[in-house]
Amino acid sequence: MKDAFRHGAAARALAALVIVLLLGVIFNADGAFFKLTTHRDALRQASVYGILACGMTLVIISGGIDLAVGSVLALVAVFVSKMTIWWGWSPWLSVPTALAAGAVCGLASGLLVVYPRLQPFIATLAMMVFARGLAKTLSGGVKVATAVPQPDGSFEFVDVPAVFRGIDSRVLGDNLSVVTIILAVCVAVSWWALAKTVWGRNVYAVGGNEQAAYVSGISVVRTKLVAYIASGFFAAVAGICQAAQEQQGDPEAGVGYELTAIAIVVIGGTSLMGGQGSLALTVFGMLTIGYLEKMLSLNAVPEAMRLMLTGAIIVIAVMMQRRRQL
Amino acid sequence: MNWEVWLGTAAVGAIAMGCSGGSSSPEGGTSTSNAAPNDKIYTIGMSQCNRGEPWRVQMDADIKAAAGEHLNLKVIFKDAQNDTLKQRSQIEEFITQKVDAIIVSPKESQPLTEPIAKAYEAGIPVIVLDRAVIGDKYTCFIGADNVKIGRAAGEWLKNALGGKGTVVELKGLQTSQPGIDRNKGFREGIAGSDIKVAFEADMKWLEPDARKEMESALTRLPKIDAVYAHNDPGAHGAYLAAKAAGRDKEMLFVGIDALPHEGVMYVKNGLLASTFQYPTGGKEAIEVVLKVLKGETVEKTITLGSRVFTKDNVDAGGEALP
Repeated sequence: MKDAFRHGAAARALAALVIVLLLGVIFNADGAFFKLTTHRDALRQASVYGILACGMTLVIISGGIDLAVGSVLALVAVFVSKMTIWWGWSPWLSVPTALAAGAVCGLASGLLVVYPRLQPFIATLAMMVFARGLAKTLSGGVKVATAVPQPDGSFEFVDVPAVFRGIDSRVLGDNLSVVTIILAVCVAVSWWALAKTVWGRNVYAVGGNEQAAYVSGISVVRTKLVAYIASGFFAAVAGICQAAQEQQGDPEAGVGYELTAIAIVVIGGTSLMGGQGSLALTVFGMLTIGYLEKMLSLNAVPEAMRLMLTGAIIVIAVMMQRRRQL
Repeated sequence: MNWEVWLGTAAVGAIAMGCSGGSSSPEGGTSTSNAAPNDKIYTIGMSQCNRGEPWRVQMDADIKAAAGEHLNLKVIFKDAQNDTLKQRSQIEEFITQKVDAIIVSPKESQPLTEPIAKAYEAGIPVIVLDRAVIGDKYTCFIGADNVKIGRAAGEWLKNALGGKGTVVELKGLQTSQPGIDRNKGFREGIAGSDIKVAFEADMKWLEPDARKEMESALTRLPKIDAVYAHNDPGAHGAYLAAKAAGRDKEMLFVGIDALPHEGVMYVKNGLLASTFQYPTGGKEAIEVVLKVLKGETVEKTITLGSRVFTKDNVDAGGEALP
């Protein structure tokens, strides 16, 4: 945090966001950009990515990367939908179980990184493929929705569980989505862990120079494990939010989300080499990506053009970040 | 390692997942019926282009159900996981195995034309489902007409709205033929009326994307009379967005595909005004296989009819479209 602001990275991350917001003001889609609902929806849409990016920030600062978050999201979405919709479990049981499942996936990735000492890229790539397969196995290849298959091949239609409706609702006179509040909590918790705890300091130390951290008595293994567990946990939070908003658990959900999460972290200015960065920067990155998506959607920009524009914005944003290294 | 390398390798990771993440069911699952001891058992090889899409899972289920009614049919199901070359080797495996018939729902026309022709020339009847191959070296092609279905949706909406209104179109992937055809047919269907497509976006067949695009449409348009989505999950996503905005009663939602547990259920529950079936042809494929095995001649091309489901006819199983 301090490090980031000292290098002026926050100012540069803010610049990327301002550029995107200015684009929104210029291409305001007949004034739609100035409506409150646009901003409410932009924040809601960016929430799932933002929650993933919280965990990704922790892992990246520790010198690793987590490619599994999109698949873990899908796995947890399927799992929590099965528990709450098909099996009718109480949310007090299903939500903690789902969060634990995500944390276990993170733990598995972390163990692969610290014990066989696989490169984080390879370890989490394996977890990414494995978790996707597990999601498909668990769901039987279909979406886990409110049409519950019966033994005789017919379907029984059940209600959308209250916990899903609650997560997908809005508060404060309809002006704030609950998923955005969940995002804010995730940001606050991970900011606190990173900036205010001993573990957080160790994350920077391990990411900056693992040898030096080890020699100075920091438990590298534990520091890394906790980062991956946190990433898995946040992926589970995102998975529950995804399932609630879709009212189903789709085993194909979240494909490519890990790359969006990485892009958010990088656009914010957190270094992929580890040891540098902050949660505040990730929030800027999240708003940049979120508003970019919203602006393109409001203007009904054709898909091909969207992809090219998004690519260009990522390059511009990251180029601005790199200036400090020259 | 710097960030370019990371991002580059991350992209490779995404590709790796596209290839290896596609397996939804164990390959080569079989469904055997209890055959009487003296009957000859016919083995049918079925190569599905991928089992990631619910519609294709339904196709396999239809084939399984239709084959299950005949004691002497055994079907080997294979999932090509959206990989053209994998599908090609599956067909080659079926030829080596000397199956009695092949059903294939190809991923692509050009690269699978030759393998299918080889099977046909080896004397194995080949029934091609949904996507055609080039030339005429196959036994029978069974498919539906997306342009026709899109046109029917357009005409239905024209009637339902009394010939005028503001419509949002949420399109399937516009680089895929069904997406292009469902758009083309719909525009033909509403031609000549005062129906205006005021907002259109590519939601790539994905429900979360449909919801995002619909939120933008709701912000931009003060009044929307109907939403036409190229598939039922898209229509459902649009419904959720409109409901969250408190505007779901203002408009009609129309989808396509009408899978029993998806679109048809949505109509039954009053979420969608109508959905148009895109038939899988699974049942028809087994009927054709049986005819061929009995030595009867079959038509070279079978175009499947569609059905429309509305709240008035959904309990009666929908209504066949002309």
